[in-house]
Amino acid sequence: MDATQLLKGVLDVAVLAVVEDEDGYGYDVVRRLRASGLEEVGDASVYGTLRRLYTAGALTSYVVPSEEGPHRKYYGINAEGRAMLDAQRKVWNEFSTTMNNLLEAS
Amino acid sequence: MTTSTVTPEIVSFARGVRAALADLPADEVDELTDGLEADLAEAYAEDLQRELPDPVAYAAELRLAAGLPVRTKVRHGALGAIGDSLRDTRRDIGIAIHRNPMLSGIADFLGTLRPVWWVLRAWLATWLVAAFFGSEQGYWFGGTGWFFVLAAFIVVSVQLGLGRWQGRGIATFVLIGNVVAILALPIVKAAADNGGSDRYTIGFQDGVSAADPEQVSGLTIQGEPVTNIFAYGADGNPLRNVQLFDQSGHPINLFGDSTEDGVPCAGESQDCSELVQPATLETGQTTFNLFPLGTVPSQWDDSEGASVPIPGAKATYGPAPFVKVPAVMPGPKVQPTP
Repeated sequence: MDATQLLKGVLDVAVLAVVEDEDGYGYDVVRRLRASGLEEVGDASVYGTLRRLYTAGALTSYVVPSEEGPHRKYYGINAEGRAMLDAQRKVWNEFSTTMNNLLEAS
Repeated sequence: MTTSTVTPEIVSFARGVRAALADLPADEVDELTDGLEADLAEAYAEDLQRELPDPVAYAAELRLAAGLPVRTKVRHGALGAIGDSLRDTRRDIGIAIHRNPMLSGIADFLGTLRPVWWVLRAWLATWLVAAFFGSEQGYWFGGTGWFFVLAAFIVVSVQLGLGRWQGRGIATFVLIGNVVAILALPIVKAAADNGGSDRYTIGFQDGVSAADPEQVSGLTIQGEPVTNIFAYGADGNPLRNVQLFDQSGHPINLFGDSTEDGVPCAGESQDCSELVQPATLETGQTTFNLFPLGTVPSQWDDSEGASVPIPGAKATYGPAPFVKVPAVMPGPKVQPTP
């Protein structure tokens, strides 16, 4: 089993969890996910997920201009995003408990 | 936050990514790739060994994660889609024809007649434009200007037919134009066959004018319907109750054959609030040639299915154009032919 396949299903909740701690721009979110142990996460997958969560109304977004280089686009969580994160956390906990029990029992 | 330099490779990579997303709306592409250069610059500043991936694959990953549809062939709007499906149908028919030797021979023969079609469709286009401006006349056009338009359309049509002009949408335009032209042919024929006679038929009497235009022809002067006649004597004073006949002895009837269907409405009002007052001859016949014609206020009667005079209303003459006209000077007398 490939961890990247599993990651696809949980990238939303992972990104929401990272942004819940602190607002972040695209690569910053990638770096924090990798630092948490999700080494295989792809840049473009994270940027796309941020965009999709923003379109879904779970994130806010603002642009921070830079004097020296290109501007950065920051994403932050909002109430809807927090509600989504809570719901998905519950689903994940139930799912992982089920899977743990199943795998330990066999 | 680290500040990093955006290298030319990153700029070119980002351009490649945006190009691979070009089928999406422009603002969606902007939203999706906003800050891309900064993110990439930072990522590659951290790890100098990293190589830039394939921009198309990168764009596909971005698109998939953002929940956007996979890249589709860029269509040029609804018109392009119609053109594509028509072209597909034509291709299928073409294949079917070329499998059959007889149909194939007919198709080749028709192919040699294509220039005739090029001229025909140019004429059709001119006719349709002229008809839009009301300048069509039978199968042709009123005014020489339209023949210059026809000449210009023939040039355009032949150039298109020879494939001299290539470009996005031209093939679709020609295809749709041909279909419209074929559909328009019977319309042009019907209009041209009906045309002419009803050009000068003025619908001064709604309801009756739905009948054959040839039979509704009342009296008109220079295209304007004559709704009443006022006679004046040699002394210049108005005459009342004058019976008028034409050279053949027919009573002058301003309303033509429409009076056979009943009493015509006076004037051009839509609601028919006034009817013409017919006169009755000593023979008992009803006539409409007693001038000036009187009118009587009317109302719609459901049981009759027609407008009827309001009971008790009196017929009046319409306002005469002149109270008195200049009297005639005595001159040589004109004798009637014995």
